[in-house]
Amino acid sequence: MSNGKQLGKLFGAQLKMMFREKQVWFWNLFFPIILMVIFMVIFGGGGGSDFKAKIAVVKPSATEASDMLEGYLRQVPVLEWKSEQPITAEEADEWVKDKDVDAVIVLPGENETTLGIIVNKENERSATTQAIAGILDKFVQQTNYQVAGVTPTFSVETTAVSSGSEDLSYVDFLLTGMIALAVAQGGLFGMVDMVEMRRKGLLKRLRLTPVKMGLFGVGGMMVRFILGIVQIVILSLIGVFGFGAKLHLDFPTLIVGFLVGALAFNALGYLFSSFSKSIEAYMGMANIASFLMMFLSGIFFPTSGFPEWLVPVSQVLPLTYFVNGIRDGMVYGSGIASADFWAGIGILGAWGIVAFALGVLIYRKTKIEVR
Amino acid sequence: MAILEVKGLRKAFGSVQAVEEISFSVENGEVFTIIGPNGAGKTTTLEMIEGMQAPDRGTISISGMTWDKDADRIKTIIGVQPQSSALFDLLTVEENLDLFGSFYPHSKQSSEVLEMINLTDHRRKNVKSLSGGQRQRLAIGLAMISDPQIIFLDEPTTGLDPQARRNIWDIVLKLKELGKTTILTTHYMEEAEKLSDRVCIVDQGRVVTLDSPANLIDSLTKEREVRLYFQDGESAAAETEQVAKGDSTVVRTELDGSSLKLWSVRPEETLYGVFGFTKEKGYRVEQVSIREMSLEDVFIAFTGKEWRD
Repeated sequence: MSNGKQLGKLFGAQLKMMFREKQVWFWNLFFPIILMVIFMVIFGGGGGSDFKAKIAVVKPSATEASDMLEGYLRQVPVLEWKSEQPITAEEADEWVKDKDVDAVIVLPGENETTLGIIVNKENERSATTQAIAGILDKFVQQTNYQVAGVTPTFSVETTAVSSGSEDLSYVDFLLTGMIALAVAQGGLFGMVDMVEMRRKGLLKRLRLTPVKMGLFGVGGMMVRFILGIVQIVILSLIGVFGFGAKLHLDFPTLIVGFLVGALAFNALGYLFSSFSKSIEAYMGMANIASFLMMFLSGIFFPTSGFPEWLVPVSQVLPLTYFVNGIRDGMVYGSGIASADFWAGIGILGAWGIVAFALGVLIYRKTKIEVR
Repeated sequence: MAILEVKGLRKAFGSVQAVEEISFSVENGEVFTIIGPNGAGKTTTLEMIEGMQAPDRGTISISGMTWDKDADRIKTIIGVQPQSSALFDLLTVEENLDLFGSFYPHSKQSSEVLEMINLTDHRRKNVKSLSGGQRQRLAIGLAMISDPQIIFLDEPTTGLDPQARRNIWDIVLKLKELGKTTILTTHYMEEAEKLSDRVCIVDQGRVVTLDSPANLIDSLTKEREVRLYFQDGESAAAETEQVAKGDSTVVRTELDGSSLKLWSVRPEETLYGVFGFTKEKGYRVEQVSIREMSLEDVFIAFTGKEWRD
């Protein structure tokens, strides 16, 4: 039978095997989806809704100043009022403890000039508390200027920018991170079949036939590419339609990044399989690698917040370059022409080549033990 | 003409000498069985012949070809069922056969093989859900898919129930009818005796003996054990023993209560004389048996019965 026909058969058989294995479905699709949804709901603001803080106001006495401050506060758009009427100090304590409100603002009483914020101890350092404090601070400052009758000369306006598109949001960042992670894990964990095939004597059995093992590998890789494409499509659909992610696709960049990355991570999986005597050993190794990279490669959070000593570690990990490549191709909408992109692809490719070469060497050296 | 010729094979794994010196040749169309205790070197020998291990010394010639020169061609004329039934568990019976068939330049129709291994009704079943006997039959089917000249079956019946074992015997006999050469290993002497044209007993990495089962049994001993049980008690047995001792065909006797054992080179002649005497005396003989010698006796005689582990 010709090579092409043989490859077709091998590809078909491996495709069937992959889609019949429930584990594949769980780990390569269900698990990344769950992980992405959780992260997006917690950190992504759940569908791009704006920041809102629920508050109430305590007004010890109705003075001119407190009336005026209350009036201004009601105009701050991000504050949501739990109660239209001012509440008592006791009620305020109760509401904060029960987390009915994010904060209670205590307006100044007679002959007082300070505004108070009551927050739950648990939330003392939360982003919401910080934001409310920030808003109040600015608000008090503005009021002071007005009372003093001066106009501020300088003001700060923050605009978030990223390379390429103006509207890169955390959701886009997370979506592309999850896609890279899912494809990488597909490779890292996917070679568990090899361990199982070796343990059961199937690799040995194949060597008794004239089949070309290279074709078997190519067929398997084609199947993994298909799985990767399915992952990208499904995660993107959920990200875009469920969480409002905005993609700027650049197909040449995406295709190059995806192919090189998928090959590199499958090569790593192949290397792990070469020295794993059992499925447990293999899974342990793949898990360690995947966890380390998940947090050190900027999947969920940008690496810029890392302590300085950690940066070099992040800079050698292949997932760092893979996720950058995927982001270049999916949200930055650029890359194929940039030197940075190709440097990253080069490092990724180097990881793949070294891992594959080592794997081949170890497979040749170790005698296959069949149980 | 010898289709397989093995000369002076030797193989060590580290300090363990697995195969010391093994030579034999197998004729076209033969069922050739290798038996031996665990660790005798059977599997290592087979793996060297199948090209999975390189021998430290010695030569293997398969249909005039050698592994170092004609590996690809040899692979197309041999079919192997390894000890561990290595199958693609997530594929169906038919898909396994089709896939393996695609590895060879010429292969049989999977329907034909399915018929031979009697799995036609189960062809759409996932391998996962097959019974042990069905798995083993499929493994043999995969060894036959390329219509090879030589088929290696490494302990095909180990761990199977009696029915499943007999099903496998049927397949081996069918292969023989088709003129295929079969190299078999087994732990069941009954099986070796029933199926093989020749049996090769291997122990501690050497060929201990090699012949047809019948010749091996004959060569073991000329005497047969005859056992008689007397209803009339010890005295009748003792008197008969004295008479039998005078018979030239009887080599040795043994008396145990009412039961008498005779070792005779011509059992029918001995019994004729013995029954003449008992009839005359009116002694009643309750049970008579001539113990059949089997391959198992040959095996034990050659490999000993001491504990090995």
